[in-house]
Amino acid sequence: MKPHRRKRLAVVAFIAVSLSMATGLTLFALSQNIDLFYTPTQVAGGEVNIGQQIRIGGMVKEGSYESANDTMRVMFSATDYVNEVPIQFDGILPDLFREGQGIVVEGAIDSNGLFVASRVLAKHDENYMSNEVKAAMEAAGVNTENQSALAEY
Amino acid sequence: MWLWFSKLGSPKWFYELSGRWLPWLVAAMFAFLFVGVVWALLFVPQDYQQGLTNRIFYVHVPVASISLAFFPLMAIAGTITLVWKMKLADIVVKTAAPLGAWFTAFALASGSIWGIDTWGTWWIWDGRLTSLLFQFFLLIGVVSLRSALEDSDAAAKACALLSIVGCINVVVIKYSVDWWNTLHQPGTDFVLSSNKANGPDIWVPLVLMIGAVYLFFAVSMIMSTRNEILERERRSQWVEELVDNL
Amino acid sequence: MLNAIQFSSFSEFLNMGGYAFNVWSVYGLFTIFLGANLLVPMFKKKQILKDLKRRRVVNKNARPEINE
Repeated sequence: MKPHRRKRLAVVAFIAVSLSMATGLTLFALSQNIDLFYTPTQVAGGEVNIGQQIRIGGMVKEGSYESANDTMRVMFSATDYVNEVPIQFDGILPDLFREGQGIVVEGAIDSNGLFVASRVLAKHDENYMSNEVKAAMEAAGVNTENQSALAEY
Repeated sequence: MWLWFSKLGSPKWFYELSGRWLPWLVAAMFAFLFVGVVWALLFVPQDYQQGLTNRIFYVHVPVASISLAFFPLMAIAGTITLVWKMKLADIVVKTAAPLGAWFTAFALASGSIWGIDTWGTWWIWDGRLTSLLFQFFLLIGVVSLRSALEDSDAAAKACALLSIVGCINVVVIKYSVDWWNTLHQPGTDFVLSSNKANGPDIWVPLVLMIGAVYLFFAVSMIMSTRNEILERERRSQWVEELVDNL
Repeated sequence: MLNAIQFSSFSEFLNMGGYAFNVWSVYGLFTIFLGANLLVPMFKKKQILKDLKRRRVVNKNARPEINE
């Protein structure tokens, strides 16, 4: 390689390396703020203030879902299998909502420790399968509910 | 090796070679597209959770994953432009940017439409969606930088640098779902066994569609690269002869 | 691996299990995305060659001093 080309290559490499280091450090510094939601364990650990607008991510706890007959109000708990947060929501749930499903809720915690949600989103996991495969796996006793999404929380 | 390298950089050589390849690539593209789309729409079983919205997966995933290839491609071509001043490399940087913007825009739009019913929202500022939107603006930036700078040599250098810098964002997009918690699901690990989740009935049509979209990417890139060659080399003897023989 | 066709009628296929809007708008956009990026360069090539041809003819017929 000719010297002037080697010099140009070195300049390009230097710019690329220094910029990626700068970006890496910035992202590291910001990483708390880039997270979309708090986990129930973070909430239990007192990282969230009463009335603060936040998101919480977790699984809808099995057996926790209750709906009122005369209103749109639903109650359920979000769990990360260590801690859980009781949630109240008035509105329409996404199609994928059910017990055992990963969800993200937006809202704030009131003084009784109840999370009043203004929006509920379903967090789909990365597993795709047909009803037949799902039924066969359940018959074989394999837990198919968001197995890997668990690792996220 | 060096001879091959400098030959590849010759627009005339590329124009002739790609002219021979193009019909085959187009034929393969349509074959993959036809089989892939028919399989995805008609034959894939509905998802146990998402029902038939899983059809969207088969166009969203190939386009979104290939959209991440644009900045690395442009960065390699950009480095060659900066260091060796190869003509063809700058043409690749120029033609890749708008096509990359199309890929990114389609990935964002199809993901949004998919999200309406599965997530319950068409947009959220999570790590994955935000970084992909940022890639769209970066690519628009490369396109407008080129048209803003009148000096074509300066434009080539500026675009090459921006392409190299833009690669950092690709790493962020790729690992956003692992580094932070997001609404977007992480990448899937596909398995060979047909009685588990993510088995062949899910991924074989996906592989076909990824092939189809890669071929489309190659065909569209080659076509616009050939156009750019004709425009830049219009005063060269071989283009004049080519035009005379029309 | 290859399952049976998942639909028993054409209207069921169009309905896409209630997700007709989502599925068909994405496939519609996909068609536009492919079509635009294949047809635009194709027409552009015709345009460029026509333009070059016209210039060549003009240049050949013109006197040398007004040649580019």
